[in-house]
Amino acid sequence: MTVPARASGRLGKWLVSGPPLLYLLFFFAIPTLIMVLASFRTPGEFGGLTPLVDETGAIDLNVDSYARFLTESVYAQVFLKSVWYALLTTLSCLALAYPLAALIARSPKQYRNLLLLLVILPFWSNFLIRIYAWMIILGPQAALARGVNAVLGGLGQEPVPLLFSSFAVLVCLVYVHLPFMVLPLYANLEKHDQALLDAAQDLGASAWQRFWRITFPLSLPGVYAGAALVFIPALGMFAIPDILGGPDDSLIGNVIKQQFLETRDWPFGSVLSIVLTVAALLLAGLAAWVGRGNLGTPSSAGEARA
Amino acid sequence: MKRLVLLLASLLIASPAGAAKDEFHLYNWNNYLAPETVKRFEEFCKCAVVQTYYSDNEELLAKLAAGAKGYDMYVPTSNAAQALIKGGRLKPVDKAQLTNLRNIDPAYLNTPFDPDNKYSVPYAMSTTIIGYNDEKIRELGLPTDTWAVIFDPRHLEKIKGRVTVLDSANELFAAALKYLGYSANDVDPKHWDEAVAVIKKAKPYWAAFNASSYIKELTVGNIWLVHGYSNDIFQANLDAQAAGRKFRILQGMPKEGAVLAVDNMVIDKSAPRPDLALKFMNFMLEGKNSAELTNLIGSGNPNTDAVKYIKPELLKNPAIFPDKAVQAKLEQLQDLTGAQRRLRNKLWTGIKAGR
Amino acid sequence: MRRQPVGLWIAAVAGYAFLYVPLVIVVVYSFNNSRLNAEWVGFTLDWYDRLFHNEEMLVAAGNSLLIALVASVVATAFGTMAGVAMSRYRLWLLPVLVLTPIAIPEILMGVSLLIFFVLLNFTLGLVSVMLAHIAFCIGFVAIVVRSRLAGMDESLTEAARDCGATPFEAFRYVTLPLIMPGVIAGALMAFTLSIDDFVITFFTAGAGTVTLPLQIYSMIKIAVTPEVNAVSTLLMLLTLALIIIASRLSPSLLSAHEEKS
Repeated sequence: MTVPARASGRLGKWLVSGPPLLYLLFFFAIPTLIMVLASFRTPGEFGGLTPLVDETGAIDLNVDSYARFLTESVYAQVFLKSVWYALLTTLSCLALAYPLAALIARSPKQYRNLLLLLVILPFWSNFLIRIYAWMIILGPQAALARGVNAVLGGLGQEPVPLLFSSFAVLVCLVYVHLPFMVLPLYANLEKHDQALLDAAQDLGASAWQRFWRITFPLSLPGVYAGAALVFIPALGMFAIPDILGGPDDSLIGNVIKQQFLETRDWPFGSVLSIVLTVAALLLAGLAAWVGRGNLGTPSSAGEARA
Repeated sequence: MKRLVLLLASLLIASPAGAAKDEFHLYNWNNYLAPETVKRFEEFCKCAVVQTYYSDNEELLAKLAAGAKGYDMYVPTSNAAQALIKGGRLKPVDKAQLTNLRNIDPAYLNTPFDPDNKYSVPYAMSTTIIGYNDEKIRELGLPTDTWAVIFDPRHLEKIKGRVTVLDSANELFAAALKYLGYSANDVDPKHWDEAVAVIKKAKPYWAAFNASSYIKELTVGNIWLVHGYSNDIFQANLDAQAAGRKFRILQGMPKEGAVLAVDNMVIDKSAPRPDLALKFMNFMLEGKNSAELTNLIGSGNPNTDAVKYIKPELLKNPAIFPDKAVQAKLEQLQDLTGAQRRLRNKLWTGIKAGR
Repeated sequence: MRRQPVGLWIAAVAGYAFLYVPLVIVVVYSFNNSRLNAEWVGFTLDWYDRLFHNEEMLVAAGNSLLIALVASVVATAFGTMAGVAMSRYRLWLLPVLVLTPIAIPEILMGVSLLIFFVLLNFTLGLVSVMLAHIAFCIGFVAIVVRSRLAGMDESLTEAARDCGATPFEAFRYVTLPLIMPGVIAGALMAFTLSIDDFVITFFTAGAGTVTLPLQIYSMIKIAVTPEVNAVSTLLMLLTLALIIIASRLSPSLLSAHEEKS
């Protein structure tokens, strides 16, 4: 990206980036730094934190909580499971969202916003009752479970519970994050020039070839944006396993929540949160770095070095 | 665009700036105060009751520990009240103004965590017991008066995938410890390891660790046996009858004993209106007002004066009003020390990680 | 509309079905004659009736709507600026500040904001919740706007500037229409996130502040009655109506750039 070589260039940079920067510095960075500091402190006996400076004037800072994370491997194990679930969720969302976003992007202009609205409308109802609706759909007495278990029974297999299982957790994770994949994909697909595809078709490319060689590479920025907006929040999810997970479906979000609530160990909760955040950012950064090589149009690979 | 901005601005300005009326800020569990009681209190004190809700003691503690202010009164369970008292967050109660305190059964006063009731007054109680679908359990011939039905694989085999337990380390450990014959407040790490072993052996048969939607599933018939709270199970039965089901949801009090949860009224150290809070406390200590909650949700009641206002069928229910023999086996949970909490969380995470 | 492959149609319709089956259940169950959201018993309008007499729930719904409107408007403004800035200039701090709120567990952010507000002696209330919501919504908008700008031709903006437009005019008449679908997508996401947020709202709400998620989650252990289905259905319809009204009031607000010829 070229920076406009004008006198107003630098001023423009601060005018545009300034307000969000200041807002986030004040209402996000500073509060978060307070909790990062907390990760080096000792939990209060009854909750909260012990005072930073005790009666003798000594400053109470230590790395106990970090040591705990590194030595008690059960937490790392839960963390890896969460990464796996988040990955599955992201890929499933991508598969489901892509056709949806593509159809909306290619529909007549006057319908696009309405179709987009229809995608997100269900998500203005409350989260809990949407999950409860899924409990009804996946419940053992409902048609879906009965159908699946009839098939399994026919194959001589044990009946499988759809509810209170990893399957239920994944279905709901995908459901809850779907709009956050559809919207960025749409925003990107919307600007694709149909003429490119027409030209390719004239030259003999099949539908799959048109998709794989033209549409998909062009849509990669949207794919990465959507993937980031699904993978990262999915990593920290706790409500869905709480409500309809099985006995083994505890994710790192649940563990972190427990540190702040039942265990009242804020430093350790902060440590886990920092590990989660840093890991998420690193993965996102990695994906962006890999994606750099494919950014933009197929012919602008050189430009993408910017 | 301009019109939109004007509309938004007018909405913001119009939103009430909070009338400086007499307001009593109560932070309570949801559905833990009958609407009629609220109305009557508002007339009595000529004030407005502003209720906000939490659904877990720990949420309350976390919010207060981070410094939230503005509440007059909250209703923590005994172990949470213990943490608050030790943390110095409560205002002592002026007992001279609590003329109705004598109504409370002395068995629930003068507790180890608040000797002489300096800070807290009992409000309502519940027990953590077994709830079950009477038709299915009778068919399968399972016992309902022992924790073994939740922990023993011989019983669990028959109800595999149809049992839920509470998603609370404190409650589940307490049940396991009771099953092993120890006190629910036992803090010996060796006993905890035994409890963990019992839990892990039973876990493959459980459908879920669930504290939020299990009652629903029990009422619908997807789940046949739960480890749950007595009020919830009581309500589940009402719902099942209302839906015209053929089975009833009954409560089973395990003979090994169970956890008793007493919720207490306490006043925040920096309450804006402690006078209203005291008035409310005394008001709720009146039998008539206290009984309204019991009649509404089937909660236990430590108020002797309330007995004459409570529905007879509730009085006969042993899970709501346990007799002396059962009372002796009920235990209130105590708050753990920091180190104990950490150990318990490590064990709990291991259990739930499927290790 | 050009003929799209049949496979695309089927997949897209399946996607909409996946989105709407649970919603249909939500709406249908708002008429369910049973306190539990578990199975169909019979038809009743009781819950809507009870809802209209439930002042707490109505106030909570109103608060949620207000907070979401304000938070999404402000977050979209800031987020668009951030997205444009990240796309145009080499920045390192802003991308980190924008991406981290998305990654950070909500409970950490909630507790930290509460501690922060208490330190500043800032009274908790509707405003504290709004400030918190804006903070975590900015990132979502910024990322979408940035990805919309990726690969986009800056020469149009350059040309406008060469023709004498001020930076603001170049933005308003050239860049903004080009990124509008991204801005709208971001705004929709911000609104959705705000209206359904529980954890951060729980910690930053004042002693008398109730939002709909706070009210509903507190019911989680007793029973989430069909009243909640009713209020959700009405809220959805209300929001839909508001958006349609808004798009009539300012038709240029939501339209994308001119159709490519």
